[in-house]
Amino acid sequence: MSAIGDIATPPAAPSLRTIIRGAGFIGLGAIGVLVGLADVLARAPANAENVGAPLLAPTALFPFGTDILGRDMASETLHALAVTVTAAGFGALVTVLIGGLLGFLAARLPLALGLFARWIAGVLAAVPALLLAILLIGLTDRSFAPLAAGVAAAPLAFVRAFDRARELGTSRHADFARATGISRNALLRRDLAYEFRDTFLVNATRALAAVAIILSTVSFLGFGATPPHRDLGLMIGAARDTFFDHWWTATFPTIALASLILCARLAAGLEEGERP
Amino acid sequence: MLRFGLRQAGRLALGLLGAIVLAALVAAAGKHGAGLSAYANAVFARLVAFGRLDFGTSAIAANPAWDDLARRLPDTLELLGFGAVVAVIIGAPVGLLLSAGRVLRAGAPLLQIVAAAPVFCAGLGLLWLSERVLHWAGAPHDTSFIAALLSGDWDAVVAVLRSVALPALTVGAAGAASIQLALRRAVSQAANEPYRRGLHAMGLSRFEIDSTYLFPQVVAGLFRSFGEVASSLLSATAVAEWVFGWHGAADLFLKSIALEDWSVVGLVLLVFAGLTLCAEFVGAMAARALAETERLA
Repeated sequence: MSAIGDIATPPAAPSLRTIIRGAGFIGLGAIGVLVGLADVLARAPANAENVGAPLLAPTALFPFGTDILGRDMASETLHALAVTVTAAGFGALVTVLIGGLLGFLAARLPLALGLFARWIAGVLAAVPALLLAILLIGLTDRSFAPLAAGVAAAPLAFVRAFDRARELGTSRHADFARATGISRNALLRRDLAYEFRDTFLVNATRALAAVAIILSTVSFLGFGATPPHRDLGLMIGAARDTFFDHWWTATFPTIALASLILCARLAAGLEEGERP
Repeated sequence: MLRFGLRQAGRLALGLLGAIVLAALVAAAGKHGAGLSAYANAVFARLVAFGRLDFGTSAIAANPAWDDLARRLPDTLELLGFGAVVAVIIGAPVGLLLSAGRVLRAGAPLLQIVAAAPVFCAGLGLLWLSERVLHWAGAPHDTSFIAALLSGDWDAVVAVLRSVALPALTVGAAGAASIQLALRRAVSQAANEPYRRGLHAMGLSRFEIDSTYLFPQVVAGLFRSFGEVASSLLSATAVAEWVFGWHGAADLFLKSIALEDWSVVGLVLLVFAGLTLCAEFVGAMAARALAETERLA
């Protein structure tokens, strides 16, 4: 073995966390492909009734069975997954922008203004996000459900980003930068760039999981998606009366929803005990 | 401790003030005419009325909003209480087990597979399991556990326990997820403390160190997460009440929103936010008290 070989450090094996994150991203990618090709892969268009006999058990022809209106469950699950992913993706973006970005910026506002914003976010965070989302939908309209879910998940992200930015603002590198004459704006831009580079994917996937849970629960409770744009929560809610005797009407949408949430959470690669 | 307590009390007071303002903003939603100034006047009137402990009138039942809530709140608190007990019974051992060693810690992400199902899916799953596998339908809920216990009628106590079992398991499962997370967080923070290595070098066994020093730190960490646990329990309560037809305050909240009864919605929000904030306060004080006791010992 050469001398260089002796002193060169061997490439570090990927940690379990990296492998789990990778699995999460692969899963999200697969879901993204399914959603992108939903119209091609689904055998029936969304909400097409009487494709088969009502409440057929899974067979080779209908691998997920049919529901009470004779809709192909496989096609319906695919369409509903597309609706859920699209809406949750938009909501997650809202959470990252309103929660993550504004929280970070608010920490650099003049102290009183920043603390006022933190106080408002803290009060909103004391209300469970699900109830906040339902309240916002009640005050506006069901078509705003993705926005409402995103806004409802934002207070927690705001508080987290605010506290992190305050920590960074009082760190040694910030003191050193200020002492060397670097302006507050330049320091803010630098911190923001590094923060988003390091945490954007984690925050976005974490928000995706949270918003998907809120949105599907809101739809399940009857405050979210409306037909013909059925999402997974609404599908599961609609199967409430039939799933006792016909398990497939709720099982496959539940598996699809749980897979989305699981992949998003794994991709976030949360630290030990970190709140999803 | 006194200074810490005052600071926490101040935070609680500010939080409750914010919750009152939020409740007034919501309660005034249906009362204003056109324009921002009319809405601002309605909000101000609501705030003044709240000061007199007048929480408005339900637009649906024409009862005082507080009466409507007071009828439903005990059922929700009962469900929350049972859910919290289930959460501790399941969440504490799971959290401690998954923090016990490197191998078990590595398996913790697998728990995400179980936790990925939203609460309503867990509720429906339990409903299916109880009816189809266990052939056990929950009894109707018509009396409170405390009332049944005080009456001394054991049949009534068993009936209440049967009716509360499924919703409490659903709420408890959500709470257990929060508790095990809080415990794992606390253990991972405490386990990296340098004093553990120092004490071990001084001859103390791992068990002695962990039971005497680490355990109180972990319990204090759990106390600090009380707000987070309360919030997840409240969220799950809303879903469980809907799934299992439990006529509690969260069910009242959902129905009031559907019927645009904003006085009741505002009041329920105030109570729920107040519960979370109080849990945060109690948790912070308990954690501090535990730390002080340890320090003095």
